Amino acid sequence: MRSTQQTILSNYAHEQIQKLRELHQEFPKNSTYPRSQDFRSAIYDIERLKIFSTLDDKDIDFTKRFYRKNGIIRLMTYLDDYYLGAKYLFIEIDEDTNWYKSVIIDILTLGTIFLIIFAIFGLFFVKIFLDPMKNSIRLLDDFIKDTTHELNTPISAILANVEMMNLDIMSDRNKKKIARINVAAKTVSHLYHDLTYLTLNHNRESKNEWVDLKTLFEDRVEYFAILASSKKVTFELDLNYSTIFIDSVKITRVIDNLISNAIKYNKRNGAIEITLRKDYFIVKDSGIGIESEKVNEIFERYTRFNTSEGGFGIGLNIVKSIIDEYSLKISVSSVLREGTAIRVDFLKGTVDEK
Amino acid sequence: MKNKILLLIFLTLSLGAKDNNSVYNTNCIPCHEHLPYSLQKIYMLYLKTFSGEQTFKASLKAFLKEPLEETSVMPDEWIENFSVKERTTLSDKELDEAINSYWELYDVRNKLH
Repeated sequence: MRSTQQTILSNYAHEQIQKLRELHQEFPKNSTYPRSQDFRSAIYDIERLKIFSTLDDKDIDFTKRFYRKNGIIRLMTYLDDYYLGAKYLFIEIDEDTNWYKSVIIDILTLGTIFLIIFAIFGLFFVKIFLDPMKNSIRLLDDFIKDTTHELNTPISAILANVEMMNLDIMSDRNKKKIARINVAAKTVSHLYHDLTYLTLNHNRESKNEWVDLKTLFEDRVEYFAILASSKKVTFELDLNYSTIFIDSVKITRVIDNLISNAIKYNKRNGAIEITLRKDYFIVKDSGIGIESEKVNEIFERYTRFNTSEGGFGIGLNIVKSIIDEYSLKISVSSVLREGTAIRVDFLKGTVDEK
Repeated sequence: MKNKILLLIFLTLSLGAKDNNSVYNTNCIPCHEHLPYSLQKIYMLYLKTFSGEQTFKASLKAFLKEPLEETSVMPDEWIENFSVKERTTLSDKELDEAINSYWELYDVRNKLH
């Protein structure tokens, strides 16, 4: 840009020198200093005294050939023949800021075009690389979704029939078998509810209400009692009255998953301590525990504490999603081979302060 | 013949130097007005060659005191026809006065508009 302006000014200077030469020859018949609408000019003699000037700014710098100052651009040229006694010719124009604006516009325009091109290429390549991964996840989700639909009716039938059986007339041996069927059916039922929540109900609108947690814990403990008894795991309940404003289906999923995990990963003859206070609850088991470096991974989908127990590894992922939705705080403290305690703190305002 | 003419010019210039108020008028004009190259033209020639006032005056003074072909600004044709002038007989003071008058008379600064 600077060289372009310098070229323009040099052309003006050349033009002015020609006019000065003509004037020098015609002088004094013609004594009108040559002026132009495109530029202003001045001539100075060898002793740097002014001969004539049409410059706006009279402050002259003889040390620079080309410079900008106070919104003007000035070029100094030496004359070989001192027409009218002029040794120095100054050509001055107003600094044109349009070039600056046009450069900014050019940069923005080109930048936007390149950004769009890169974004299109980026999207194209991301799509190519992610497609196999997305297909795998979709396949797994579709499989779970399809399976889930087929599970409901048989499980309901099994559970309903087990409940309706008259155990009084059965032998102890058969009673044990029925209890095992009940445990198995409830395990599948629990899994069914998790999968249903994950694949079908996850995006449903929450129906928040005041939920009595003490009653809910008692209810869910009773539900899982038969499952716990199969591993001879006992419950130790320390429940105070507490209510929370939440979707009952969702808080049930949280409690079910925590209790279910506490049973699943407990040792035989172990215990589960459930503590409920006004603004938090803790579910603590006496099981295998989790290695400290893996504590943060347990909420990821398809992650399991260990591979010795069955399951899809989706339970705690569901818990975390619900906890996050209601801005609750969940903390895990675990000691390997001693047990795990999961504490859920309620957000102020979601609990009944009465 | 040419040398005689030049001698006549400068003798006239020297004799006319008595009048302090018009050293230039009495010593320069009378001879130059008969020459084909006007004093105005010579002034412009000097100006084109020496540019500034001090340089102009110093160069002219040096030439008038010691005229040489090498230091003359006149065209070759002029030198061929008229040769260089004779050395001036004016005193430094008179010479300065005449040159100052010459400078002021044709100074372009006062005439450009």
